[in-house]
Amino acid sequence: MRRRVVITGLGPVSSIGTGVDAFADGLAKGMSGISPISSFDASGFPYRMAGEVPGFAPDELVHRLKIEEWGRSSLFAAAAGRLAVEDAGLDPEQLAGTSAGSCIGTTAGEASAIERLTEHEVESGFESWRAELATQVPSSRLAAAVNRELGLTGEAVTISTACSASNYALGYAYAAIASGDADHMIAGGAEGVYRWAHAGFYRLGAMAERHCSPFDRDREGMLTGEGGAALFLESLDSAERRGARVYAEVLGYGINCDAGHMVAPDSASIAECMRLAHKSAGITADQVDYICAHGTGTPANDAAETLAVREVFGDTPPPISSVKSMLGHTMGAASGFGAIACALGIARGFIPPTINFRTLDPDMPGIDPVPNEARPARLRVVQNNGFAFGGNNAITILGEVA
Amino acid sequence: MPTTQQYLDEIREIVADSLEIEPDEMTETSSFVDDHDGDSLRAIEILARLEKRYGIEIPQAELPKMGNLRAVYDVVAERAGWNS
Repeated sequence: MRRRVVITGLGPVSSIGTGVDAFADGLAKGMSGISPISSFDASGFPYRMAGEVPGFAPDELVHRLKIEEWGRSSLFAAAAGRLAVEDAGLDPEQLAGTSAGSCIGTTAGEASAIERLTEHEVESGFESWRAELATQVPSSRLAAAVNRELGLTGEAVTISTACSASNYALGYAYAAIASGDADHMIAGGAEGVYRWAHAGFYRLGAMAERHCSPFDRDREGMLTGEGGAALFLESLDSAERRGARVYAEVLGYGINCDAGHMVAPDSASIAECMRLAHKSAGITADQVDYICAHGTGTPANDAAETLAVREVFGDTPPPISSVKSMLGHTMGAASGFGAIACALGIARGFIPPTINFRTLDPDMPGIDPVPNEARPARLRVVQNNGFAFGGNNAITILGEVA
Repeated sequence: MPTTQQYLDEIREIVADSLEIEPDEMTETSSFVDDHDGDSLRAIEILARLEKRYGIEIPQAELPKMGNLRAVYDVVAERAGWNS
């Protein structure tokens, strides 16, 4: 018998706010988290904006880890995990004694450690490598950081399917609890604003200069972003037993990989992924009240994504908005922030907006991007999209607990 | 100043290296995509390497034009002012 799985804690560490209330407030007000890049020297780049977490202070959010031993992505993951557990109202000591683990998604892992090592090597040769920096490199440390911070003894799985990785992680954690393999799981993703991604996406011609404007006729592209996104999952029985506040139920997820092209999204494969997710969740497309878009703001993504939406949902799809308009593209954390936005939308009755929106793309008839202002709405079932390099698509479905 | 042929040979080396083929497999008009299995990512790599080599900026809008060696030479020559 499959157990029902619910989300009872949220841990956002983001450019528009850290902690549930600040993040929810940012979404509801349509705040922008985009600012001039400060985490690396961007002065040589033609474009210099990103969604950085202002004043990220890991020592205030992380209690157990020795800050100097961990990279920025791991600290985002641990901070978000800690916040999610606090928000779930569970005694951390008690949690550590249960069957509990974490699954964390990422794109670049600890890219800043690699960048710094590379700088050292170029400047002073291989011998100048610092061992403590080299030990920060493995991406597997992201989930390990969460388990270490919280004293969890269950699985610590890092999933590196890039821009959809958090949805893979959420699906994995959901399956672990549904099947009884674990009782509590922290799922989400973490990413820093790193030079490699800025350089890479700029060079691909995928980056906007100042504003990310998904679904807009004149959209230029994406902006990179950062943060940690964590969701605390347990069975519905467990949540009811301890009288926990429930944000939403995880109804199911769909994943597929077309491997058709490294960067060009394939709308047919995305549509198929949506159908897989609906089937897994036991719902039909007409039940979906809101789609939290992948919505990177690149011409290619938004065209392929809305084409797939129209194929699956018909000519009048539900509202579809992109929180990347506010956060930038937080890569491995992106669909984690999307899932948090979905859970908050269900619990607090609103749809986050697509900001920076001016003109609907005539090539996207019937698309309602919830322009610029959040909208009150009762959300029973929502769909959270995540698509990544190589056609790694992952979609989660959340719902009101009925 | 190098001759047109010298520039063409140099660009041929750069493009062939990006496409992972031998320089002599490429003619001035063989198609990167149809004859040499190129794609949009290779095209960006070629563009980046040419920008670096010649200290020029090539707008990505020029990419669709740059489908063979001769066409690439024309774009680079214009940006670098080799013809003036």
